[in-house]
Amino acid sequence: MGSSKKVITREEWEKRLNDVKIRKEDMNKLVMNFLVTEGYVEAAEKFRMESGTEPDIDLTTISDRMAVKKAVQCGNVEDAIEKVNDLNPEILDTNPQLFFHLQQQRLIELIRNGKIEEALEFAQEELAPRGEENQSFLEELERTVSLLAFEDVSNCPVGELLDISQRLKTASEVNAAILTSQNHEKDPKLPSLLKMLIWAQNQLDEKVAFPRINDLSKATLEDPTV
Amino acid sequence: MPSATAVNKHRPSELLSRLASDDPEVKVRALREVKNQIIGNPTKKLSFLKLGAVPAVAGILADSIDEVTNNNNCNSNTSNILVQSAAALGSFACGFDAGVQAVLDAGAFPNLLRLLANPNEKVADAGARALRMIYQSKLAPKYDFLQQKNMEFLISLLNSEKENVSGLGASIITRSCETSLEQKALFDAGILRKLNSLLGGGSLSQRDASLESLATIFRNNPEVISKFAGPEIGRPLSSIIDLVKDRHPRTRLLACMCLIVIRNASPHFLQDIGIKSKIIHILLELLDDPSQVGDEAPFAFSSLIAQKEDLQKLALEANAIDKLYHHLKKGSLHPRRYEGILLALADMCSKLESCRSKFLSLQVLNLVADALTDHNAGVRTAACVCLKNVTRSIKNLSAGYFMNEIIVIPLVQLFPDPSTSVQGFRWQEKSERPDTFPLLDAVAALGAVSNIMVDFTTRKSIFVQCGGMKQLVQLAKSMESAVRSNALWALKNFVFQADNRLKEGVFSELTASLLSSLISDPEPSVQEQALALVRNLVDGCINLIELVFAEDGLILGAIGRQLQCASKAEIGIQGMYALCNVASGNEFHKEAVIQQLFTQMGDKNQSFVIKFLQSNDCQLRTATVWTIVNLTCPSSPGAPGRLEKLRNAGIISQIKNMVNDPCVDVKLRVRTVLGQSMAFGDN
Repeated sequence: MGSSKKVITREEWEKRLNDVKIRKEDMNKLVMNFLVTEGYVEAAEKFRMESGTEPDIDLTTISDRMAVKKAVQCGNVEDAIEKVNDLNPEILDTNPQLFFHLQQQRLIELIRNGKIEEALEFAQEELAPRGEENQSFLEELERTVSLLAFEDVSNCPVGELLDISQRLKTASEVNAAILTSQNHEKDPKLPSLLKMLIWAQNQLDEKVAFPRINDLSKATLEDPTV
Repeated sequence: MPSATAVNKHRPSELLSRLASDDPEVKVRALREVKNQIIGNPTKKLSFLKLGAVPAVAGILADSIDEVTNNNNCNSNTSNILVQSAAALGSFACGFDAGVQAVLDAGAFPNLLRLLANPNEKVADAGARALRMIYQSKLAPKYDFLQQKNMEFLISLLNSEKENVSGLGASIITRSCETSLEQKALFDAGILRKLNSLLGGGSLSQRDASLESLATIFRNNPEVISKFAGPEIGRPLSSIIDLVKDRHPRTRLLACMCLIVIRNASPHFLQDIGIKSKIIHILLELLDDPSQVGDEAPFAFSSLIAQKEDLQKLALEANAIDKLYHHLKKGSLHPRRYEGILLALADMCSKLESCRSKFLSLQVLNLVADALTDHNAGVRTAACVCLKNVTRSIKNLSAGYFMNEIIVIPLVQLFPDPSTSVQGFRWQEKSERPDTFPLLDAVAALGAVSNIMVDFTTRKSIFVQCGGMKQLVQLAKSMESAVRSNALWALKNFVFQADNRLKEGVFSELTASLLSSLISDPEPSVQEQALALVRNLVDGCINLIELVFAEDGLILGAIGRQLQCASKAEIGIQGMYALCNVASGNEFHKEAVIQQLFTQMGDKNQSFVIKFLQSNDCQLRTATVWTIVNLTCPSSPGAPGRLEKLRNAGIISQIKNMVNDPCVDVKLRVRTVLGQSMAFGDN
């Protein structure tokens, strides 16, 4: 109140920044970690060849994981389930929520393809028992089955289930579970660093006016507001 | 895309027949399909189990292993069969006890062990995983650590770099290590050092598995703990303490649980208030975790604070009750979590009034009352235990806080049906799935009610109105002695300082013959409660003393007989106080009592009175002397005669020897008796 904040000019700031040393190896590791976690196998291979950075996970396991993710994204859920079980049978056996979501996705695909009778049979045989055991599963099951009640599914209240985003959500869930089972972090490090940057800038902003990075993708310093 | 007919192709029975095919490719495909159908699906596991899938798969495993041994070679088809059959068996065993049993019954265990030595990595891995699933169940075969070659095998497992194999080693320890001898053997074999190294250098799952194994080896064994932590310079147990702050919730929980085991066995470790507060804080935080970790956190919390006032105080300051309440409020809790939170609250309120006040001030009581009507038996029991502990608050009992419909009616509904045996107790509401709950739950409900019965206000009639009193009387006739004694306990509290009308109501429901037979019950605990009930019934009002004379003095006679052969002091205490209260009545009453004191003597020279007066138990001596006080009270005409009888039986001289009794209450009453006896010109 009253006193204005100290101002740091861009020149001053850039000078200080130059004094901070960042190691190349650390950056390479961050990039590799990002590529590996997101599943960009070929990019990871190439990067490894070109930079000499070793991935923290076996790259062959990435291909397996990516195959599963892709299968879900294409709507071949049964295929995805088989692949996950080949990779590690424990994942679905110890992850009831994930398993339910995969089965739910199977149901959605059956409905999408107009296989109504099969969908009903599937819901009854595979999903209903899960619903009996768990209240939230039951609610989700009911939402999914209600898709069958609507003529125009694209406009109904639960229409988002048929959206591609639903597949992506399920795919992401499977991806995270596989990573966890391989004792790998399911999130890349890069977002955490960026969050830390934003937080630190906000903290500093309370005390000092300084050149901020507002656009993360460009990372340009913007003059301090006086 | 699978068509309707394709779905039929996957019917279990059809699949099983394909398992029996001679063509290895058909077999592998069928195995893989069975595996894929059962993984994650408990219903399918059960239906395949019923069709005999497990022996079929176990048979295939056995045959393939024989093939490998005979040909000294494992081709890719056989490897596939081994992997798929092991995976299928592992899945049957995963979290499914019936499956574990079936796998063991089918003789698959030794074959799975043989897979560990298979050169094919995938095969060995599948075997290790399947075995690990088995060892997560309490049905797993007991591992004999004391045999040298078993210990060597275990060490080789732990030394493996493969996670599933070292994980198997840890699971075996966690499951099978029970006795202190085994714990010591594991220590001597250097296993703890290995596990400790995995805490720092291993992967996430290896760390978690090690924490569990360490806790198992430390449990109740201060010697092993001090051998492990003692030689450490600087911060002992730092490897475990550091993991309390790990980023993975499960690791944090397991680290806390390990430290709690250590502390419970060796309280001089982890004295530092900082670490205690940290563990409390972390466990309360873990309640936020939506997975099984959050479900188990409250149980760990209970094991930390149970019976320990200092920790309860610390937890109170950390706002434990607020936080537990906050989670309880959320509703739709997984039954395990619900039960855990209620038990944690129960433990918090077990000793400290400050905790109970906090509990009541937050209005947690209403939520706990709701839990009394939950579908899950464990939840209901936990709610009863919680109520029982909270109602120990005398301050609130006397304010009549608990005697209301919200609490009393659901509690009464939890009373077991007295006409059935232990296994047949039924939940009395009309739910689709009648829940049966064992003896402990019935006793818990009665325990909660007992405390509430000590209500000092006039609202006890609520309990009568909702039929609770009648039910308690019915339960006093139960086949289970624990139910009988707890029902009597509740009735005893109910009539404590109650008005005459209430007392008469209880008595007429009980009847003299039932009460006298309960006094003579084969179980001492029942005898004690029955006598205490009589004591409370006749206390305070002369008219009620008549009750013991009903039906030709049935009850009075029973009391006298029971005192003659009292098996423990508590029975003597309650019986004597009952007689004492009767003797506070009129002349007729006093005469009847003194008769009881001498009637049962038979060829014994000594009345039980002398035995009681010479007892080590101060309360028993007090009660007996009090009775003599009432019998020799100078204002009653028959006092001299009674005094004479007592003198002749050597009772007065016994009392004279007690002028310097260490117990003040006894000393004072002794003086009264002697003073009264001198009023009749005694020497």
